[in-house]
Amino acid sequence: MSANTELQWKGYAVHDTKEWDQFKVVDFKPKQFEDKDVDIKIEYCGVCGSDIHTITGGWGDVHLPLITGHEITGHVVRVGPKVTEFKVGDRVGVGAQVGSCYDCKRCKGGSENYCHKAIHTYNSLYPDGTVSQGGYATAIRANEQFVFRIPAELPLEQASPMMCAGITVYSPLKTNGAGPGKSVGVIGIGGLGHFALQFAKALGSDRVVAFSHSENKKDDAFALGATDFVNTGDKNWVKDWSDTLDIILCTVDVSHHIPLSDIFATLKVHGRCIMVALPDDALPGINAFDMTTSGVLLGGSHIGSKAEIVEMLELAVKKGVKSYIQMLPMKEAGKAVQGVKSGKIRYRYVLKVDI
Amino acid sequence: MSSNTEIQWKGYAVHDTKLWDQFKVTDFEPKGMEDKDIDIKIEYCGVCGSDMHTITGGWGEVKLPLIAGHEIAGHVVRVGAKVTEFKVGDRVGVGAQVGSCYDCQRCKNGAENYCHKVIHTYNSIYPDGTVSQGGYATAIRANELFVFHIPDALPLDQAAPMLCAGITTYSPLRTNGAGPGKSVGVIGIGGLGHYALQFAKAMKSDKVVAFSHSENKKADALALGATDFVNTGAENWVKEWTDTLDIILCTVDVSQHIPLSDIFATLKVHGRCVMLALPDDALPPIHPFSLMASGVLLGGSHIGSKAEIVEMLDLAAKEGVKSYIEMLPMKEIGKAVQGMKTGKVRYRYVLKADI
Repeated sequence: MSANTELQWKGYAVHDTKEWDQFKVVDFKPKQFEDKDVDIKIEYCGVCGSDIHTITGGWGDVHLPLITGHEITGHVVRVGPKVTEFKVGDRVGVGAQVGSCYDCKRCKGGSENYCHKAIHTYNSLYPDGTVSQGGYATAIRANEQFVFRIPAELPLEQASPMMCAGITVYSPLKTNGAGPGKSVGVIGIGGLGHFALQFAKALGSDRVVAFSHSENKKDDAFALGATDFVNTGDKNWVKDWSDTLDIILCTVDVSHHIPLSDIFATLKVHGRCIMVALPDDALPGINAFDMTTSGVLLGGSHIGSKAEIVEMLELAVKKGVKSYIQMLPMKEAGKAVQGVKSGKIRYRYVLKVDI
Repeated sequence: MSSNTEIQWKGYAVHDTKLWDQFKVTDFEPKGMEDKDIDIKIEYCGVCGSDMHTITGGWGEVKLPLIAGHEIAGHVVRVGAKVTEFKVGDRVGVGAQVGSCYDCQRCKNGAENYCHKVIHTYNSIYPDGTVSQGGYATAIRANELFVFHIPDALPLDQAAPMLCAGITTYSPLRTNGAGPGKSVGVIGIGGLGHYALQFAKAMKSDKVVAFSHSENKKADALALGATDFVNTGAENWVKEWTDTLDIILCTVDVSQHIPLSDIFATLKVHGRCVMLALPDDALPPIHPFSLMASGVLLGGSHIGSKAEIVEMLDLAAKEGVKSYIEMLPMKEIGKAVQGMKTGKVRYRYVLKADI
């Protein structure tokens, strides 16, 4: 409804990419408030792999000091005069995007997540020169296009990681036809992977095959909805799984794990592998022949559209999709990022706002 | 009907990959005749890039001496006891495959071109140990699944290059939905590219955009059915063509020509680039970010199924698809392969059998 002048805009920021696990509370200025903006008092923020890639400098230049975090949930405290979808008090979430151009073919066609002028939730420059600051903070301001109502049945801390990890896997599953009649593979059981298994199952896929490099996550994989579990440390796994999958979501850095040619070998004719992992480096070299053998496709994907996010949240409620989270007070962001970097987390840290 | 004992099985063979333009007429033994085999007296054979990659050793080990060539057209001279589709005298073609296992899921479901036990027309080993020998020869023996009627409206020399170059572009156009409402890009106007333009048009694609690295082939491209021609040597072409294409067929070696990221930039959201060129080396490194930017897919393709080849030949006859060929007597095979290597041919050599 009207302005909330009590918001203090501050958050846990990294000041030096060499000391990426050292966070200091800093004040920041959000972008100028515009008619379609929504201010949100943050309650929770998930810790995403993207945060680590960014704060370590692995993904390139960082506008320092930077507050990361793009798996945000909280309550609306202010809405601009042209906001139609939300009112003060609504339970909402924000993901990895906070703005776009609103005007291009992609924005107008329901693919705002592919706008060439996408404003990401942190480390992006708004037209007014402000650097976007993320969710390890007290509050965030975002255009209503990029704010999503959280269903009453979903606790905010459960919904948080779905804002990035969840949609990052839901969108390609839907786009590439996961569902009845299809066999879906998920490589890597982590923040993304644990949602991918559940959503593949929730969409009605015939088979949901979890691939992991040891037996450790086998029980979890089945609990999450996998119909099969493959330990890629075993010999012969490629032969056993040759020509079995329609769609694969790869959530791991393949240069360290499985050769792409092995992944492709599991695909049926014209099957698709969607690479949702975004390592710092390029993929290992692909020979054109690797894709010829079964006429497969290798693809990418970028978060999801509003329509997809709304659909995902409804499906999550309907089918009881669970976020496997570990909650920490936000001041322990340093411990969280270390845990993500070392791969210890089962499967997402969610930080609870404490400033 | 019955056997023709007059076939002398011989062909122009390469004996040394360092002397890949030196051919000697060499006798050879075809595989043992089986009930579903067909013997074909060869009239014409097209020269394919694959022949080059093979005889130079670029694609690996070659079983020497080797007769290459897999764009074959001629007449049936003998049919096995269980052949049902053909009789002596039929006008037929053979492409890049002469056998498969006939028994796997792929063979039984019309995807025999993706059989894991594919027998290629040359340099493959049959179960009986025979090395398959290709079409720069007097005759070829192939299983009837891999033999195709040539429509009367198509002269044999016109049909020959369609058996590999033609189907190699037709199949991915079909599989990836080229047609009304779609914009198709073709990179490289050569043996494959000149068919890709015509088939994309014959399938009634809205736009058919030819990409070439100079102006030289512009007139040809437009005559072949392109609605647009792009000189990738010009500045700003990427910007002008951003977000315009649904499907791209890439027929050139991208490590020498256009960066993949530029190609991806022309694709619409979830657009597809099918890499038909099969260079000796790996593709340049791909960063997942470049796939992510428009959620695109990069794919491969391997010739086509019988059903697709039959459909292609019918479409070619109906829509007047033309093969731009340069005919040479088969003894001038050395000149042909040199012309291919230097990229001179406009756009396919067809060799006329002369032994």
